[in-house]
Amino acid sequence: MRRIAWRAVRAHLGQFAMSIVAVALGVAFVTGTFSLREMLSSTFDEIVGASTTADAYVRVPDDGSNVVSGERSAAPGLPLSLAGTLEQVPGVQAVIPSLSGPITLVGASGTAVRSTQAPSFALAYDRRDPSVAGLTGRAPVGRDEIAVERHTLDSSGLHVGDRTKVVLLGDVHDVTVVGAVDFGAPMAGATIVLLDPSVEEAAFAPAGTTSSFQVYADRSAGLTEQQLVDRLAPVASGAHAQALTGAAMRTETSSQISKQLGFVSTFLLVFALLALFVGAFIIANTFTMSVRQRMREFALLRAVGASPRQVFGSILTQSALVGVVGSAIGVLGGLGLVELIGVVLQRMDMTLSTRVPLSTSTVLIGLLVGTGVSVAAASLPARRAAVVPPVEAMRDEVTVNERSLRLRAWAGLVLVVAGAAAVVVAAVRPHLGSAGTLLGVGAGFVLIGTLVVGPVVVPAVVRLLAAPAVAWLRPVGRLARGNVVRNPRRAANTAGALTIGMALVGAAAVIAASTQASVGSLVSTEVSADYVLRTGMSDTVAPALLQKVRALPSVQQAEGFPWTHVLAAVGRAPTGADGQALVAVEPTMVGSLLRPSSTEGSVTQALTGGELVADKLLAKDKGWKIGDTVAVTGPLGEKSLRIGAIARSGAVGQALWASPSVVDTLVPSAQQPDTTVLVKAAAGADLNALRTQLTDLSRPYYVVSVMDSKQFVDGLAAQVNQMLAILYALLGLSVAIAVLGIVNTLALSVIERTREIGLLRAVGLGRLQLSGVITVESVLTAVCGTVIGLAVGIGLAASLPRLYADQGLSQLSVPGSSLAGMLVLAVLVGVVAAVWPAVRAARLPVLDAVAQE
Amino acid sequence: MTPMTSSELSPAPAAAPATGAIASARALTKVYGSGSTEVHALRGIDVDLGRGELTAIMGPSGSGKSTLMHCLAGLDRPTSGTVVVDGQEVSAMSERRLTKLRRDRVGFIFQAFNLVPTLTAAENITLPLDIARRPVDRGLFDEVVDAVGLRDRLTHKPAELSGGQQQRVACARALVSRPAVVFADEPTGNLDSHASAEVLGFLRRSVDTLGQSVVMVTHDPRAASYAHRVLFLADGLFVAELTDPTAASVLDMLAGLEGLAARSRS
Repeated sequence: MRRIAWRAVRAHLGQFAMSIVAVALGVAFVTGTFSLREMLSSTFDEIVGASTTADAYVRVPDDGSNVVSGERSAAPGLPLSLAGTLEQVPGVQAVIPSLSGPITLVGASGTAVRSTQAPSFALAYDRRDPSVAGLTGRAPVGRDEIAVERHTLDSSGLHVGDRTKVVLLGDVHDVTVVGAVDFGAPMAGATIVLLDPSVEEAAFAPAGTTSSFQVYADRSAGLTEQQLVDRLAPVASGAHAQALTGAAMRTETSSQISKQLGFVSTFLLVFALLALFVGAFIIANTFTMSVRQRMREFALLRAVGASPRQVFGSILTQSALVGVVGSAIGVLGGLGLVELIGVVLQRMDMTLSTRVPLSTSTVLIGLLVGTGVSVAAASLPARRAAVVPPVEAMRDEVTVNERSLRLRAWAGLVLVVAGAAAVVVAAVRPHLGSAGTLLGVGAGFVLIGTLVVGPVVVPAVVRLLAAPAVAWLRPVGRLARGNVVRNPRRAANTAGALTIGMALVGAAAVIAASTQASVGSLVSTEVSADYVLRTGMSDTVAPALLQKVRALPSVQQAEGFPWTHVLAAVGRAPTGADGQALVAVEPTMVGSLLRPSSTEGSVTQALTGGELVADKLLAKDKGWKIGDTVAVTGPLGEKSLRIGAIARSGAVGQALWASPSVVDTLVPSAQQPDTTVLVKAAAGADLNALRTQLTDLSRPYYVVSVMDSKQFVDGLAAQVNQMLAILYALLGLSVAIAVLGIVNTLALSVIERTREIGLLRAVGLGRLQLSGVITVESVLTAVCGTVIGLAVGIGLAASLPRLYADQGLSQLSVPGSSLAGMLVLAVLVGVVAAVWPAVRAARLPVLDAVAQE
Repeated sequence: MTPMTSSELSPAPAAAPATGAIASARALTKVYGSGSTEVHALRGIDVDLGRGELTAIMGPSGSGKSTLMHCLAGLDRPTSGTVVVDGQEVSAMSERRLTKLRRDRVGFIFQAFNLVPTLTAAENITLPLDIARRPVDRGLFDEVVDAVGLRDRLTHKPAELSGGQQQRVACARALVSRPAVVFADEPTGNLDSHASAEVLGFLRRSVDTLGQSVVMVTHDPRAASYAHRVLFLADGLFVAELTDPTAASVLDMLAGLEGLAARSRS
């Protein structure tokens, strides 16, 4: 039997090619996902390894600061002078404060050096730090000199010896590049500038404190990291600090990174699973097809004495072969995919690890998943082939009894109704603690239920969609409709791939449009500014620029939102875990530039009286009320402040508000970045002239852009669109798989319908008309999947504004044009998928189809 | 093939009245395969099939009767020779014109799988007209439907019809587009005797009352007895002809041919 199985694979290679492609595709996605994840984490591990080189660290205990995002610690910090004390510990060679902060480097082209997502920051160049050992040129000395990380230097177009500018804390400095530093690892696109330690301290440790120190051991002492930490510990605890080994620090940092990457890989995995689902379906289809065509061959085998088990086994053997070959190709394809992504990212100046991301476990998972899915998918048609009585198989018509759909209909219905109920409950009672969970679970139920109930729903939807085709394309429309509807399970499965993808995209599109609409309405109701000065997330509008803007005669008022981190708690001393955003709000801007949407108590009074204003959501979250006293700790000291009002403003976000004079007593102004300044023109001022003035003032600062309020809203919306772009890219993948699924189903049904096609051709159906039937069939399937998916996605997303109205998602907006675009896409998908099966059907010789033998 | 010597066989069969021919073939040959696997299915056929007649073509398995019909109907291309149907030379037609010919000038009834399973009986009957985007002649439709007795079955799908009913739907479909000629390939091959009689009676009536021309391939003497004329084929050549046959005369003829073949082999 094995020989027969092997011969069959060789003889039907063309047919199996499609299964192999299907398996390869599914496996490529799975391996690609795993490898990409590995590549990302190994890149970050290398960065951690290259930048976290110290033998031990002394830091603020459990300060919750995040190495990856570069957030600075809110804790009061350790005095820089602690370094001297620590250096007295025997066996310690050097102690260097860990300081870093945002900086903007102006490249050779005269614009800021930026890569898409990676941060841009300044480090101190300390020759005792081995991580910066790879220096060419010389070390920066004083304010006028910088060194630049090698990859940053390459992408900036600058060379050692060039003069350029940096923007540090909003102020522009003319500097000379005196050195290039090689960290020995690609830094994932981060822009890194190295400064003289004294300059760095002045900029990023204005209060004379830091959150941690790097400790390097004296090599001659021969201490282990742990021994070093044991010696440091007493000194550290005396200063309310914590000592830990370099290894512990690296592990901690790496695990933080993997946690952040976890979201990305979960997301990718969902798509890999989708790919596998469709892949399995395509494989099952292909085997159904080949089994159908070879039914007589199997019947003959059975007639000459092969047992059902043997027939079953031979088909499974074939599927295993297909699985192994397809998986092997898929593993290679997945690696290729990752290489491709690496190249694309490198184009975007994001250099990833060059290590080939090939691990045994990834390869094994790919092979096992691919082969397992193939065998499982083939087992159903194999069983069918094995149990069909030989006599029946010898006959022309092999009737396959469709099982009743009633059970499936009920199960799907129950799932959809339960899911929808959960979503409705979540939407009606948004303040229920578990509303978010309810929504998530409900959405999942609805999606799965839709797939389960598909065989019942799809034919109905197809009948509806086909109405125009049936009316106008006689008899093509009617024939096509009949073909889609006649096998509900298959039609539903084929449409399913698009349904899932389109549900995701539909939901995302609605969420994005609603977010944009909400942001727009929020800005127009809360903010009343003629112009907005804005910088990137890690930059700041320089105080000097703000002064100049205020001095303009045509400006009535200009205020920003300097923000910082503090520790805050009610009724106890705050610990490192009580990190809290604090925003400095000038009392005079409330009511004029800024109108909070819901307030309790007087915001202006609270701010002028030196009290805090708590954000409504924050207060709800923490259980804070007006009159509570909050203990606030910043780098400059501690304060007890009363909550004088509770307010909600999307522009400020979930933060505590205080007047600038209060914030300045807690945090040095150098640690209060301000990304947004609202400008209100004086009455009767020429707005266009003001814009020119603002632009002229901002230009020397490189990072500041001038926007009117519409551009401001659009800019916020653009961030949402970026997220959407990623989703669309993933949709592209699911569309590609869906096309394959449709091609496969059509090819299968063309083969199954050979005789019917022959009959139609015999009674005069032209080739073009036949192609038309298949194309309409394909388009109907694609559009049906899309319509169901979009309906589910939009329905689910529509519940979100109710649920998240507090968080600023107040408006529901359904983006008609992009949804119409999806439908057009679906039609295109249908047409493209139909090409090959249609050509194949048109080429069927009429006689072959009608002749009896 | 030995020359005909038997007295009851006409020496040059099928040289029918040329004026009334609805379909005719001249020097028609069909060869399948090549070299050592060459099979001569038709070895030079000359035939004229009468207009307004029910003609049956008979012959043992492998005699070429199906091939002849396929060539006459434009389903297959002859290796050499000419075929003319209703005044048009089929053998020289492009695929596009063949499709048009099948659609407009020819009706088909096959042994099985005659109907599109997704369409109702009524939709199946009007299918050729739908394909041609021609209006349905309601009068003719009703006449045909009543003649085959399917009035109460029109909205049923093929799967809900018996074998005989399915073949009657196929007959109705073949007639409703007013083709020049209907080709029926073993139309009763899958039917019991009662259903066969219904279908054959209907075909004969369509010739007698509507003036339809019908060509039928069959190996059933009883089916052949419904014909005006029976042509006998053996090894790719016409060997005999009967007019106004009965089941008995057809059987006799077949027995004679068997004997002839046996004698020629010995």
